Amino acid sequence: MSVRADRWLTAACVSALAALALMTWQIFDPTVWPVMVAMSLGQVLGTASLAAFGYVAVADFRARRRADIEPRPGDPD
Amino acid sequence: MTFLASPLAVLEIACALLSAIILIAYLVLRPPLVRATKLWLLLGLGVFPIGAAFAGNVQGFEATKERAFCGSCHVMALHRADSDDLASASLASRHARNAMFGRENCYVCHANYGMFGTIVTKAGGLRHVWLYLTEYRNIPVEESKKTIRLREPAQMNGNCIQCHSTEDTLWLKVPDHRALLDDVRVGRISCASEGCHGLAHPFFQAPGAGEKK
Repeated sequence: MSVRADRWLTAACVSALAALALMTWQIFDPTVWPVMVAMSLGQVLGTASLAAFGYVAVADFRARRRADIEPRPGDPD
Repeated sequence: MTFLASPLAVLEIACALLSAIILIAYLVLRPPLVRATKLWLLLGLGVFPIGAAFAGNVQGFEATKERAFCGSCHVMALHRADSDDLASASLASRHARNAMFGRENCYVCHANYGMFGTIVTKAGGLRHVWLYLTEYRNIPVEESKKTIRLREPAQMNGNCIQCHSTEDTLWLKVPDHRALLDDVRVGRISCASEGCHGLAHPFFQAPGAGEKK
């Protein structure tokens, strides 16, 4: 895994943990601000983390495919 | 622990916990990005958070109907206290003691009715948040009493009529009801006016008096 992908995944995990904390907060304190924050910032962070994971997964898939297609030294012609 | 009474709340907490376990395990162990790792991350970043968000959103929307939610802005403290007061004879409090209204009495009486009532009510709620942030955040409760008004007082009768049908013979036996039938139905005369059943929140001004908010 590249350093860049590792950073993206770390950011995604931290972002998702923050989103989950915000979304769970509203259960324990169902007042205006926790509910509003959960439904706005919580959703944005959660969606961003999933998007980051999707980006890394697709990039990794493409990199592997490229590596499979490119001829390696010693491969028969 | 009242939140545990709701299956949605339990589902959200379960999904959030499972997701958090996977994510923390990934951050601590740092496994290579092989297929199994991707599947675990898909659960931790996709499936479980989506489950938590779905359950949380529904739970959140339900929470917005509760009196505790409406009363969590300080300018609504008097309204909430009156509804919570078992000894109060106000319309709001009497309805709050009715099982049909209960803890959701603010929403039941103030929600717009009709096909898109819920959406219109939620949009109106965002307007309340905006007004709170821009105008009422630092205003004392006593001061807010002078400026908070119903935006569409004529619509309120429609909510009363949902239960207190103007077709009922008992209702029509009351001479005042019969005489004012058309005015009541179109909202020209409020059921909760001082000459009729009294203000729903007696410490506030009559609907329509002064500037609308």
